[in-house]
Amino acid sequence: MTMSVKPWVWAWLAAAQAFAATLVLTSGRGAGELAYAALSFGAFAAIVGMGQMLVITLGPGNVDLSIPATMTLAGTLALKVMGSDPGTAWLGLIVALGVGLAVGCANFALIWLLRLPPIIATLAASLVYQSVAIWSNRGLRIKPPEGLADFATGRLLGVPNVAWVTLVLAIVVWVLLERAVWGRWLLAAGQNLRAARLAGVPVQAVRAATYVAVAVFASLAGYLLSSFSGGAALNMGAEYLLMSIAVVVIGGSSIAGGNSNVPGVIGASLFMFLVVSMLNSYGAGAGVKSVLTGAIIIAIVIAASTRRPRA
Amino acid sequence: MKTLLTGAATLALLAGAVHAESHLVSTGDKRIALSNNYAGNSWRQAMLQTYEDTAAQAVADGVVAAGDAFTTSENQATEQAAQIQNMILQGYDAIVLNAASPTALNGAVKEACDAGVVVVSFDGIVTEPCAWRIAVDFAAMGKEEVDYLATRLPDGGNLLEIRGLAGVFVDDEISKGIHEGVAEHSQFEIVGSVHGDWAQDVAQKAVAGILPSLPEVVGVVTQGGDGYGAAQAFAAAGRPTPLIVLGNRQDELKWWAEQRDANGYETLSLSIAPGVASLAFWVAQQILAGEEVPKDLTVPFLKITQDDLDAALASTPEGSVANVSYSLEDAQGVIADAK
Repeated sequence: MTMSVKPWVWAWLAAAQAFAATLVLTSGRGAGELAYAALSFGAFAAIVGMGQMLVITLGPGNVDLSIPATMTLAGTLALKVMGSDPGTAWLGLIVALGVGLAVGCANFALIWLLRLPPIIATLAASLVYQSVAIWSNRGLRIKPPEGLADFATGRLLGVPNVAWVTLVLAIVVWVLLERAVWGRWLLAAGQNLRAARLAGVPVQAVRAATYVAVAVFASLAGYLLSSFSGGAALNMGAEYLLMSIAVVVIGGSSIAGGNSNVPGVIGASLFMFLVVSMLNSYGAGAGVKSVLTGAIIIAIVIAASTRRPRA
Repeated sequence: MKTLLTGAATLALLAGAVHAESHLVSTGDKRIALSNNYAGNSWRQAMLQTYEDTAAQAVADGVVAAGDAFTTSENQATEQAAQIQNMILQGYDAIVLNAASPTALNGAVKEACDAGVVVVSFDGIVTEPCAWRIAVDFAAMGKEEVDYLATRLPDGGNLLEIRGLAGVFVDDEISKGIHEGVAEHSQFEIVGSVHGDWAQDVAQKAVAGILPSLPEVVGVVTQGGDGYGAAQAFAAAGRPTPLIVLGNRQDELKWWAEQRDANGYETLSLSIAPGVASLAFWVAQQILAGEEVPKDLTVPFLKITQDDLDAALASTPEGSVANVSYSLEDAQGVIADAK
């Protein structure tokens, strides 16, 4: 095997280029501002993206389409329980993670017990979660407790707190995937489910843990995002459906499963924010923006996939 | 009815109303249904709430026999067309419609008309000629934003435009009005334009991304629901808060009141009241009662100025949107204006 460029390099290169292209326009002004904004907003996409990456790694047909509804439900219920009262941030976090756990178990129950394809199961279940979110609070926007809002929008050593949270999560996921036996099991199941089962891998347990993990990641993102933006909204997760899949693919993970990488998801999340900022800064209209964003994504995916070493 | 006994002026009104209703028939046995395409934001939730309250009261008063509300789950025109066909089969006398598409439902709407069902579209209107339309002059709303900025900032300057959801009729109309306004007031220039999807967090993200590349911005023109997010993004970037034209969300109004108390911040809020659903309900009732109603009606937009801010804030539930519930008399007024 030759020393080849890692597939995640392309996402980072593209992010750096989008960053540089925006700064060309401002002749270097506002670099810190833009980097800070990219880290803040990229963090949410990276968290859901890592969850989606784990599911996609499980192999063809595995994807979680309930991410937006899970984010909305977790954010809505957590903020409702906290009710803007100071000192309730941990309680809210527990509620949000509890929602993630319940959603993950429910999704996997549909997939495993009823043998529904994951796309159908998670899409159908997401209607239920969205409806529960609507029913529980009828779209009223409750402010997060002040301490929590300060944390979500605050910074440490010049880096947004949400980016630190993402970094910690990324290290955990990376260690699990690259250094723990669970990661081997996940990759084995994603490459060939039957072979993995015959080799003694507890494939159903691996799948269950993965579907729970993605839901917990989504609920954490929902909790942080609603604290960051001053309250949960019923449509707050909408843009993270395609975003979560896009960052996985741009990051160089295989959409066919059995192959994943954490750094790529993070680079791709930064890129997705920066490319929109760049096109906005250059004054591109909505149509041009969509066409260019699509073209750039395709170019990166091609670059990342053709340079991948043949196993 | 109670309030009508309070004075001579209202007695005169009562006499007028009785006179106006003389040629109308009772609608006590008529059934009205709401066909709604989307429920996933606070505006739509407030709209459904107002409709349900209005309809429930009308049923309790015996004005109509039923006023049920139905919402499709996927915001798809095909799904809503099927929903309308079901309503025809269920024998509703009128359908109040907030449509997923201005054209894609025309076939189903025509079927309803042919079956003798009255169709009143509002907010998301349909172009099918047999239906009634309660529309907002969105372009005028956009232009009024710039007109207001011109009175406040006579020297002009750079503006940031926050648009809504790309490809939606309302977004194009408001933006068109804003650009007309800028063409008229040449001291303004739009230096940046982003899509905030009418969602606060999306607007915040888009503004945070474009701000580093912008020169000084004196004003922000919005489409509602995105003003607070824009303010947050300006604050996070350490820039002075420009004059932001706001929408009708409670958190926007609250932020405005806080700024006003802290530093005398002054602005304007323009929006469409979700209560327009109750107006559509009464218009449908009037058509069923035999009133001659022109096919195209216009509803005024909701405007909150510095003077009404406290009153508006007091009447808006925490986390909801500022709203107006229209009565039968309001509907009759709108109909009379259109004649």
